[in-house]
Amino acid sequence: MLRSITSLAAALLLGALPAAAQTAAETAPPEAPFAKVSELVTLPDFLPGLGTLYVDPASLPAGPFLGYDHDGKLSATIYMTPIEDLQDGTAYDDLAVGSNTVTSVDVYYNAGHPGVEKPHVHVVLYHDAEAKARLAE
Amino acid sequence: MNRRTLIIRGAAVLLAARARPASAQAAPVLIEMKGSPRGERVAFVPSGVGVAPGTVVRFVNRDAGNSHTATTYHPDILDRPQRIPDAAQPWDSDLLLPEDAFEVTLTVPGVYDFYCVPHEHAGMVGRIVVGTPDDTGWQGPATDPGDLPDAALAAFAAVDVILAQGAVLPPGGDPT
Ligand SMILES: [Cu+2]
Repeated sequence: MLRSITSLAAALLLGALPAAAQTAAETAPPEAPFAKVSELVTLPDFLPGLGTLYVDPASLPAGPFLGYDHDGKLSATIYMTPIEDLQDGTAYDDLAVGSNTVTSVDVYYNAGHPGVEKPHVHVVLYHDAEAKARLAE
Repeated sequence: MNRRTLIIRGAAVLLAARARPASAQAAPVLIEMKGSPRGERVAFVPSGVGVAPGTVVRFVNRDAGNSHTATTYHPDILDRPQRIPDAAQPWDSDLLLPEDAFEVTLTVPGVYDFYCVPHEHAGMVGRIVVGTPDDTGWQGPATDPGDLPDAALAAFAAVDVILAQGAVLPPGGDPT
C-alpha cells in the first residue's frame, strides 16, 4: 500500500511538472513510444547535422526528435514545425526536451523530407558544446 | 587524383568515344538529386535536359541528408495530371536513399515532366525533352496547370531553352 501511494505521489509530481522537465535516455535507443526515424520512413540512419533520430510517431510533425551521435550519446533535441501550420495559427507549446542541459540553439529552414514533407523550421537544441561537431557528419 | 589516374581516365573516355557507333545510344545521361547541407534547398541537377530517343537517364541521390524520388506526372501514379507523351510509360523511382540510383530508357519523343514526391512543394521538379519537335509523334509540354503547386510550375525550364542548351540548371542554381 505504502509503495503504491509513493508511486502515485511520484506520478502526480511528475504530472505536475511542466512537460519541458521530462528528459530522455542519454544513450540510444530511447524507450518506446520513441522509434527510430529511419525505420519509420525512408531516410538514412544518420542525418548529417541532426544525428540518428528517434521520435514518438504520435508527436509528429513537431517532435521532439531525439538526436544521438555516432556513439549513441544524446546530443540534441529537434523540433520540426511546418511554416504553413504556423501561419495558420497552430502553436507548438510545452514540448518536452531530451535533456535539461542546453548549450546552444540553431533555428533554420528545411524544404521538407520524408516524415515531415511540408517546408518547415528546424529548431535544434544542442545538449553540450561539442554536440554540433559530433552531429555534423 | 594524381596525374596517372587522370591519364588513364582520359584514355578510357577516348576509347569509349571511339567504340561508340555514331548513331547508337550514348552513356546514361545523369540527373543528380541534390540538397544544401541543412536541406534549405533541394533540386534536380540539371533540372532540364534534352536527349535523343532511346537514351538511358540515370537518377542518383547525392544528398547525404535526404531521400528523393523521380516520379512522372501521370494519373497511374498517385493520380496526378499527365505531363508525359501519351505513348510513353509512366515511371517512378520510389524513394532513393543517398547514393541510390534509378534508370529509365526514354524512347517516345516529347516532353516529360517529373517531380520528387516529398519535395514537389519545394519546387523540386524536372523536365526531359526527348528528341525534337521535328520527330514523328513528338508531343509538346502539358499546358494545363492541373493540381501542381505554384513552386513546381515555376520551376520547369522552357522547352526551347532546353533544346538550345542541352542541360539547364534549376532556378536557384545547384543547391550544394
Ligand atoms: Cu526531393
